Amino acid sequence: MRTVDDFTRPLEYLSPLDRSLGMITREWAEKQVMPIRRDFDEDWEEHRIIEPAFKKLMGELGFQRFFFPEDLGGFGMGHSDYAAVGAYRICEEVSRGDSAMGVSFGVLHWPILIISLEPHVNRRLCEEFASMFCDTTEPMFAANAMTEPQGGSDIENLDLLKGSTIQTTATLDGDEWVINGHKLWPTNSGGVAKLFGVVCTTKLGSNDPNDFAFIFVPTNLPGVTQGKPYQKAGMAADKNSDIWFENVRVPVWYRAHGPGDDFKYFKEMVSWAQMATIGYVGGAMMNAWEIIRDFANEKTYRGKLLKENDDLAGVLADFATAVDIVRIIGYQMARMLDRPDLYGPGWSDEIVTKARAYKYFACDRAVEMVGKAMNIMGAHGSDRVQDIEKHWRDIKICQLWLGGKQLGQMEVARWFYECETL
Amino acid sequence: MRYQELFPVPTEWVQDVDEAMAETVARWAEQEVMAKRLEYREDYEKLLLPAMSKLFLDIGLQAMLWPEEAGGGGLSSPSAAMTVTAMLEQAGRADTGIAFLLANTFALQSTFGIEPHRNEALLGELTPLFSEGREVSVGALVLPAYGNGSGGERPSFSGLDYQVTAWRKDGRWVLKGEQVRPQCSGATAGIFGVVFALDDGTPAIGLVPSGVTGLSAGETFKKTGLAASVNADLVFKDVESYVVMTGPDGVKEMLCWYYMGCSAACVGALFASHEILKEWGETRVIKGKGHIFKDNPLVAALMGQIGSRIAINRILTYNLARMLSKPDLYGPAGSQAIYATATAIFQQVSRSAMQSIDNSMELMASAGYATEWNLERYWRDVKTIETYVIPETVAQTGMAEHYFGSQIV
Repeated sequence: MRTVDDFTRPLEYLSPLDRSLGMITREWAEKQVMPIRRDFDEDWEEHRIIEPAFKKLMGELGFQRFFFPEDLGGFGMGHSDYAAVGAYRICEEVSRGDSAMGVSFGVLHWPILIISLEPHVNRRLCEEFASMFCDTTEPMFAANAMTEPQGGSDIENLDLLKGSTIQTTATLDGDEWVINGHKLWPTNSGGVAKLFGVVCTTKLGSNDPNDFAFIFVPTNLPGVTQGKPYQKAGMAADKNSDIWFENVRVPVWYRAHGPGDDFKYFKEMVSWAQMATIGYVGGAMMNAWEIIRDFANEKTYRGKLLKENDDLAGVLADFATAVDIVRIIGYQMARMLDRPDLYGPGWSDEIVTKARAYKYFACDRAVEMVGKAMNIMGAHGSDRVQDIEKHWRDIKICQLWLGGKQLGQMEVARWFYECETL
Repeated sequence: MRYQELFPVPTEWVQDVDEAMAETVARWAEQEVMAKRLEYREDYEKLLLPAMSKLFLDIGLQAMLWPEEAGGGGLSSPSAAMTVTAMLEQAGRADTGIAFLLANTFALQSTFGIEPHRNEALLGELTPLFSEGREVSVGALVLPAYGNGSGGERPSFSGLDYQVTAWRKDGRWVLKGEQVRPQCSGATAGIFGVVFALDDGTPAIGLVPSGVTGLSAGETFKKTGLAASVNADLVFKDVESYVVMTGPDGVKEMLCWYYMGCSAACVGALFASHEILKEWGETRVIKGKGHIFKDNPLVAALMGQIGSRIAINRILTYNLARMLSKPDLYGPAGSQAIYATATAIFQQVSRSAMQSIDNSMELMASAGYATEWNLERYWRDVKTIETYVIPETVAQTGMAEHYFGSQIV
């Protein structure tokens, strides 16, 4: 019988650790997640059954240490030429079990990337935060606090707005930053994260990239308040909430890199997030393919197995084609981030654009094809027991984040057609 | 602006009774559901059941086809199709799941409550259930579905297996089946309308009230949407049924009513999503310069597509209702031509509704999937209707048989 391993990926791109990382994560997903995931929706607020699965992956197996340097207790992947393809494989395998766990896991590394990834390692900040993640078997989450109430995805619209709409301010007071502002929606908020990377401006209204600041804020500091998690259409394992920063003080060296570089490397982080999102939807698609494969081998129509009917086989073929292509695109995007010597730096306009293009292509295909697979399954398609409807709800959410489709379209058009007024 | 003006319907087909009932249901929607949507979300006990009770019992939708002297609404002619459509789109705007239950109920009742099939004796027998009872009574359809094993010649309907087998005993048809999945409300329906094959393979519709000997419901299961439907698989263990219709035309006629009702429910979901997106589009600014969201050309282009789909879907649904209303002009509702058109319209409306709400979510980004903004519930409900009513490819091959004379092998 065909398995998910029959879907294509460029083999010469793979990390030497690919097999071991992949198998460990797969075994975790199959034992710790898949048997219980259909009860996640009711656990969205408490995370009573979700939390132990996170603890196993992140704390006990140690995957929360992925990017930290080895001498600080990490896996040292920030120094690797295979950081992105390795991360992609893990995101894919986690999301085959549950893409909300995929994003929660992926986002824990998101702020860490800006200080641990070559060529922009901030050794002092790595030393400062490594023990939080590396010296424990408890799951530790981090989050990027970006989106704000007044402009939604404006913050992610870096190419056009260059941070000019950011209302969260960072004011220098002696040797401390004083942070004030209100953020919405960060993955791993709602009381989960222990560390925030906060997108701020040092000068309200400025579109000078030098005034864009990315500052680390431990969530236990006075003045940090996280709201209650929002209820959503899916993604129960990912908590999101409002966050308020009220005269929050952090040392001046908690700023990731400084004027200009924060903006530059933040763009690279956005590209990583697009790549990881392809992994989330790709992993969910792979599991949806397993579900429809089994269904088509069990149910009959016109006296034959579903898969033996030409009309249904056509749709099944479209689905498998989409999974194969999305997987290739995901690994290709990861490779482009791993090899800036070949493809240019991850913060370049070209890479940022292509990451957006690949992400929205993958998400659109995923939403369309998993929806079609549900339609094939009839009344069983929307039955929670089958799990495919969960993937469908989760994938839709993946499609909408990071500025959503329209912002992506504009960025892609701007680069490929050299538009000047969009 | 009222929907009648914004998304027009062929007004010459709409009668006073249709408008009056639509307005009544619209008032119910505002008072009983819309204002409480956020507070109670989709809580069956706190929100949906009390609201259904008002609609089904106090307003009397579950007894619309019963004579007025029996406490019903007095509808009996095929023109009731237009009334049902006008009501269900308003109900669907409030809660698409409730409209879906009504689509099931009216489709089932059409088999014995609408001329020329009106059966006064049966109506009288069912008066305690639908017209005099104080319980919400949903009529749930049990339709052919995929089979559970290949091989062997079995009777089928459009290539799908009947979920129960039947045999004759003492002049009644007795049904047997396990893991039988109704379209809705397996755990709560008042009566089931079961499509099965007579011993010569002829399709038939049998009525089975809940609570009869041999009929049991399994555990309720969770679904993507349609919280108003508390569904469970059924077991039929030698259950007697009352046959109301026989022959493929009878089943197709019932399905035409069902597709019409489900299309109207989807139109209602589109009305609700239009209101939500409109509010969003008028109150958000983008690009940091005070650009109103809906005024951005890219956004407006997509909104234009969404608006046009709503307008077209509504007109199509009313056209289907008109065809069912006027058999003297269009032919009997169970004819292959009407059935193919009904299938085509349901496919178009449900798929297009799904696409429109999908696009609306894209425009609203995180607010699209946050429960707080209410859009996502319509998205889940419409998807569940799309998957439940008829598998897409089965509908497509059925239409190919009609439009191209395909003889599917």
